[in-house]
Amino acid sequence: MKESVTEFFKDYRVILLIVLLIGSLAAITILGVPQGLDLQGGSQIEIHLEKPVDAGTMNTVTSVLEKRLNAFGVKDVQVRASGSQDVIVDIAGVKPEEVTDLVGTPGKFEAKIGNETVLVGSDITTVKAYVIEGNNWHVPFTITPEAASKFAQLAQGKAGQPVDMYLDGQLVSSPELNEGLANGVASTDVEISGTANSSTEAQDQAKNIQTILQSGSLPVSVSITGISTVSANLGEQFKTGALIASGLALIVISIIIFLKYRDPKLVFPIIFTSVAELILILGIATVIRQNIDLAAIAGIIAAIGTGVDDQIIITDEILKGKDQDKESTSRKTKKPKKAKKGKKGKQAKTGARKSKVTKRFTGFRVRIKRAFFIIYAAAATLIAAMLPVAYVGFTRGATGIGVLTGFAITTIIGILVGIFITRPVYAKFMEMMYGDK
Amino acid sequence: MSYVDKFLSSYKPLIAIPVIITVIALVLLATNGLTQGIDLRGGTNVVIDLHQDTSAQELQSIISNGIGNNQVEVTSIVNQKATVEIAGETDAVKLTNVLAGVGTIESLQSVGALLSERAVTQVYYAIAFAFLFMAITVFIVFRELVPSIAVILAALSDIIIALGGMSLFGIPLSVASVGAILMLIGYSVDTDILLTTRVLKRREGTVNERAIDAMKTGFTMAAAAIASMVTLYLVVIFFMPFAHTLSQIASVLIIGLVADVLATWLMNLGVLRLYMEARR
Repeated sequence: MKESVTEFFKDYRVILLIVLLIGSLAAITILGVPQGLDLQGGSQIEIHLEKPVDAGTMNTVTSVLEKRLNAFGVKDVQVRASGSQDVIVDIAGVKPEEVTDLVGTPGKFEAKIGNETVLVGSDITTVKAYVIEGNNWHVPFTITPEAASKFAQLAQGKAGQPVDMYLDGQLVSSPELNEGLANGVASTDVEISGTANSSTEAQDQAKNIQTILQSGSLPVSVSITGISTVSANLGEQFKTGALIASGLALIVISIIIFLKYRDPKLVFPIIFTSVAELILILGIATVIRQNIDLAAIAGIIAAIGTGVDDQIIITDEILKGKDQDKESTSRKTKKPKKAKKGKKGKQAKTGARKSKVTKRFTGFRVRIKRAFFIIYAAAATLIAAMLPVAYVGFTRGATGIGVLTGFAITTIIGILVGIFITRPVYAKFMEMMYGDK
Repeated sequence: MSYVDKFLSSYKPLIAIPVIITVIALVLLATNGLTQGIDLRGGTNVVIDLHQDTSAQELQSIISNGIGNNQVEVTSIVNQKATVEIAGETDAVKLTNVLAGVGTIESLQSVGALLSERAVTQVYYAIAFAFLFMAITVFIVFRELVPSIAVILAALSDIIIALGGMSLFGIPLSVASVGAILMLIGYSVDTDILLTTRVLKRREGTVNERAIDAMKTGFTMAAAAIASMVTLYLVVIFFMPFAHTLSQIASVLIIGLVADVLATWLMNLGVLRLYMEARR
């Protein structure tokens, strides 16, 4: 027994499991499990554009939205395109009513010199691509002729004064007024320029100004199609509830396993495996930055559930093999009973005879192999069933059925962890306990 | 023992049980239909943390009058937390003002018509493709026509019974319950694969012995799965009834797992034995 224990801990799969467990725990403690908006509290706003747009325009839309939310003081904003006609905005820790107005309406852009408004969003007709020359940058744009003459009038003689740019009432930038614009001559082609310390910095500044100018007029009109929000308080309760449910489920499963096998030796490894799988799934999710939300928790429960099923298959396969070895001597007494069944008796006899021949081959390894055939097949079908959802999640983000992305991903991770890492270790453990030696 | 023998030898008439239940489920779906959740039907679902005791009726009239929408339904109030469904899109700002002094919005989900239409299409595609991929995998695993079809039919009947159960108990079809259906496709095939492998591919003992062995394993698996889902369901119902995602997943799985026991051990096993007999 002692020998087999040392052998167990020397097995590469056991070592792999231990290493990965430590790695996962380290990842979880250092990086923290990324939580979905429904667990940490936050909002998701889904925005629909009136028509499909190309990647460049989409980029403008997302950066304008992000800029406006940032300008408003909203932190932790994530604005992503979902396909060519939709945008998803994730905001942590902000109530939705604070941002729906902001997203749904066009931005309010204003440029002031001193206290006088010299330019508003609707004056801008087009914003051209910014130009970088060394550390200098320019953002050329055109304004309407009326705006041009008004601007020329107001700006006359104010060269060098700051032009304060406001976005939704918040000051976002104050470049100095160029001499060329302060000469009183109206021009529809204007530009904002500046100098930065490096060319990358220049690019950042130019992009910033460009986005601000564009924000007054999104290239397409947008509408909010969906809002989903959860308070941090409720998220906390979801987490507690999920923990209670998992803990209780584990206890219930332990009781069932114990009632079935009447052997505490079998309860411990099954519980250990379940906890190990939980840690590994969370660890992997942490490393690949897959958000854990309520759906993902359901996926983890599903994966651990199939894990328990798999272990029952392995256990039964091995215990059955043990029983058969014991039974083979007492088999003769059983035989006549079957013969009574008439028509089927013949089949039973041939079956019994065949089994005697095969018995020699159904050693421990063969039985494990058989269990694993069922386990691999079952894992393959479950992964196959999860692929469509995972696909939608990857291409469109968490919208529609994509809400289940976390569910599909954690299920797939859990199943892969199971068949490649924890299941072989469980089989090894069973070999140590019930092996042929 | 004789009881089990009797059960096993009358496998032919027993096939009828899951078939009849499947047909009943289909009739239920056709006549009673399925309700759709907010995410598929469009509308707003709000969880409100109430500041003081408020009856469902009071809350309903406050919201209904406040936002000028008479399609407001208070679905539950547990531990001062109310779940409210409102038809159509709701202005979150307006709702917050209406609820001033009554309670605060803990969570809000508002789904527009466009989004819900798209979700409906995606839901059907997801189920169809999941089923197709599962079926292909089963064929690859067994490479035998009849046993593969038996597994796929059992899974199909399982899904239909689960949907019928949703219709019967008024569980809405939503993105969450579809998640449960997908999980069910995977779960139900587990026991079918176990059965087919043990009965068809093994040579030890009689067909009956192999079937009983497989059944013992299958029942333990089903018991563990059903028990853990019942636990999840009870925890959600008693501690956080507003966690609809989890309670819907749990209840659909409970129905489906029970249906799976019938579909696997009465239908799939029966078809498999008919096939083995015919092959001889």
